[in-house]
Amino acid sequence: MSPTLAIIIRLLAILILMLTNGVMMIYMLRKVLGHLHIRLGPVHVGPYGLLQTPMDVLKLLTKEDITPRAVDKWLFFLAPAVVAVPSLMAYAALPFGDGLAAVGLETGLLFTFAVLSIVPIGILMAGWASANKWSLLGGMRAAAQQIAYEVPLLLSVLPAVMIAGTMSLGGIVEAQSGTWLAVIPRWFITNPLLWPTFLIFAIAGLVELNQTPFDLSEGESEIVAGFASEYSAMKFGLMFLAEFSNQFVLSALGVTLFFGGWMLPWAPMSWYEAVPVLAPAVFITKTYIGIFVMMWIRGTFPRVRIDQLMDLGWKRLIPAALFLIVLTGVIHKVVV
Amino acid sequence: MSDPRVDIMRVGLLSEGTHDPGTPPAGIRRAPAGVDGLTTEHLIINMGPQHPSTHGVLRMLIEVDGEEIVTAEASVGYLHRGIEKLAEHRKFNALGTLMDRGDYVSGIHGELAVALAVERLMEIEVPAKADWIRSLVGEINRIASHLIWYGTFGLDTGAMGQFLYAMRDREALLDILEAITGQRMTFNYVRPGGVVADLPEGIDDKIRAFCDTFDRYLDEHEALLGGNEIFQARVKGIGVIDAEKALAFGLTGANLRAAGVDFDVRKARPYAAYPELDFEVPLGTTGDAWDRYVVRMGEMRQAARMIRQCIDGMPEGDYTAKVSKALRPPAGEVYASVESARGETGIHLVTDGGDTPYRMHYRGGSLFALQALEDIVPGHLIADVVMMIGSTDIMLGELDR
Amino acid sequence: MQPDATTISEMLASSDIAAEVQTVLLGVVARVSPSDAVEALAAFKAAGYESLVDFDGIDTGEAVELTWRVRSYALDLEACVKATLPYDGEIHSVWNVYPSALMPERETAELFGLKLAGHPNPKRLFTTDGVEPLLRKDVLIRTVEEVKNR
Repeated sequence: MSPTLAIIIRLLAILILMLTNGVMMIYMLRKVLGHLHIRLGPVHVGPYGLLQTPMDVLKLLTKEDITPRAVDKWLFFLAPAVVAVPSLMAYAALPFGDGLAAVGLETGLLFTFAVLSIVPIGILMAGWASANKWSLLGGMRAAAQQIAYEVPLLLSVLPAVMIAGTMSLGGIVEAQSGTWLAVIPRWFITNPLLWPTFLIFAIAGLVELNQTPFDLSEGESEIVAGFASEYSAMKFGLMFLAEFSNQFVLSALGVTLFFGGWMLPWAPMSWYEAVPVLAPAVFITKTYIGIFVMMWIRGTFPRVRIDQLMDLGWKRLIPAALFLIVLTGVIHKVVV
Repeated sequence: MSDPRVDIMRVGLLSEGTHDPGTPPAGIRRAPAGVDGLTTEHLIINMGPQHPSTHGVLRMLIEVDGEEIVTAEASVGYLHRGIEKLAEHRKFNALGTLMDRGDYVSGIHGELAVALAVERLMEIEVPAKADWIRSLVGEINRIASHLIWYGTFGLDTGAMGQFLYAMRDREALLDILEAITGQRMTFNYVRPGGVVADLPEGIDDKIRAFCDTFDRYLDEHEALLGGNEIFQARVKGIGVIDAEKALAFGLTGANLRAAGVDFDVRKARPYAAYPELDFEVPLGTTGDAWDRYVVRMGEMRQAARMIRQCIDGMPEGDYTAKVSKALRPPAGEVYASVESARGETGIHLVTDGGDTPYRMHYRGGSLFALQALEDIVPGHLIADVVMMIGSTDIMLGELDR
Repeated sequence: MQPDATTISEMLASSDIAAEVQTVLLGVVARVSPSDAVEALAAFKAAGYESLVDFDGIDTGEAVELTWRVRSYALDLEACVKATLPYDGEIHSVWNVYPSALMPERETAELFGLKLAGHPNPKRLFTTDGVEPLLRKDVLIRTVEEVKNR
């Protein structure tokens, strides 16, 4: 197979994965929130309401695409793409198995964070271009959030990188193979040194994703729908899809960094060689468990206020993350 | 300012008025005269009437500096149906239908206020059982109304779970009310002289069963929303209406009691069976959104207590006094008030001896709460405005009449 | 609950306000001339009536009768002030004494076609420009017969 063809096939696979994820997660969100909120979620369209999401996609695709007169047309059209494309790119470096990534980057972690941080720019564009005051507020909030939380998010993963000694996502997973004392899997989450790190990662990650309780940029009870107020049809659909896909990516990053990636605890390497789908299946299952937790949070938590959010980011998380880097460095050098 | 749309929006903002406002009293805050040190352009935002969190059709014109509110003006009337004028064309027995559509979430209280006013004019002696039924349905309706408030207040903070849990409980209450009155929201059940129908068979057990589960559910509610750290951070210290301000703006009900003023129409001007019921009046201290939350949750507990007492102590006898269908109160003027879920609901009834009121004025708690809101909103963030509207529990149907 | 009528008339007399105080079904009612209303209410406020509970108007067929209902929570007392205005009259705003009058005054002014003086924001409250003063007796809404005949 020629290398070009291989890359095209890989990219197509990612695209399909991203779209399937979107559909799956909308269904899952409805069901999870439904049961959390003593409602049932979709039940009427198809068995267990399974056809509800395809119908939703169909609806989004066939809806009239409204472009309000006062919008900045270029930015208005560009924004959904700027939101959706980076979130597709972010799939590139995710290690679905041993060496099973679309692009095996040495600096995969950095790359993933870098592309993810383009998303808020798209949101800001959408907010600005919509010529709507609520959208503008939403966009501004997204920008403020982005600036405040990009730093702790990156800083929070550095201790894990220091312990693993590599920035390649595959390498980080490999560093988590084996067991402590032949019982506890050597996943980073079992390392007490990394517990506060994981906490910061989880918080900053939720902020980066605009997820409850940090969904300020679209906080529907305050600023209507924020940056997405003026979007309709598939432009809105793209933003929606990107949001779900980012959720997947971040959950996958969490799995990679802290929960042993595609590895099962105590399973010997030979298993993964014998059953090639095992590693991706494990990885995606773990990721979906992470997504479930996010949905759980979404179903129960109220939203924080913008000043409280900024307070948390600048005054607590960044100093804490910096301190943890120093601590990890010292302990790692001295003890290990 | 050349954009005509901006000019239209500017009209009426307090800072832009051409009138001489005079010296404001201590309680009133107004926008700073010019732009402050940092020259950021203020944005005027039209919050409502189609905003998810303005609880109906309230429209707030807010002028913001970034996210901070500089001035706010409430604009109402989107639900004005002229209830007061319509009342002049309705027989006394039919006034309840109008009141139901005023404060449509706690209709019983409006009906009760009208009934009390007419009874006071005609000096009708209401049978004891009617009084007890009135208290019973009133308290059931109060819980139903507070549950709506509780659910939407949570929605305003961005949480969604408790809304649906509140709806679950309210559903049971509405079923009970439907069994008693025949309607779920617009009851027209309380009439001058008593109530329309006796309690149905077996309703006691239904209500008792509800009360038993509701105490547990209320703990659940308090843990789910009130126990949440983020929720507490959002409401504590927000939207402070202290006692002085609350009195100046004529607040009543839970909003007033949250500021620590002990006034409850049920205690101070007893009506129906309340003199015989044993209940406490929950009080707040500072009058912030958290206090209003605590007071309302406490009121729900007390209401559940009263419902039990009503069921246990329900006297035997007639459910209505013998009154003619076409009531003709003597000419006169009377004011009757009840403690509704939104504060004091007062009816100022003027009659001329005919079979319709000469004039009926409907005083609701929401209008006064809104005035206080207008005053306290400046200085807060946009997200807080939503919380403040939510915490004062204004009801646009009652406000616009 | 209800103050003594003589106490009220003495209190108003000491502020040089001519008032006719009666105890009727509505409560203790002090009738003052419209020009004295603001001072009368200020006197009430000074006497400890901290809150204006209600304000409304009645079209008596000849004029508009305004009713202020003030309440003292500390003393647990309630009283009414009434003043009669001609149809083209002017409500003098009492918002400096009782801020709670702000919106009810606007409402009354628009629904009875009165003017509003000394109000910080003398706009209409509920209806749009051009709507007739709805609560005046000469403004008719359709009767049941009229609706049936349509």
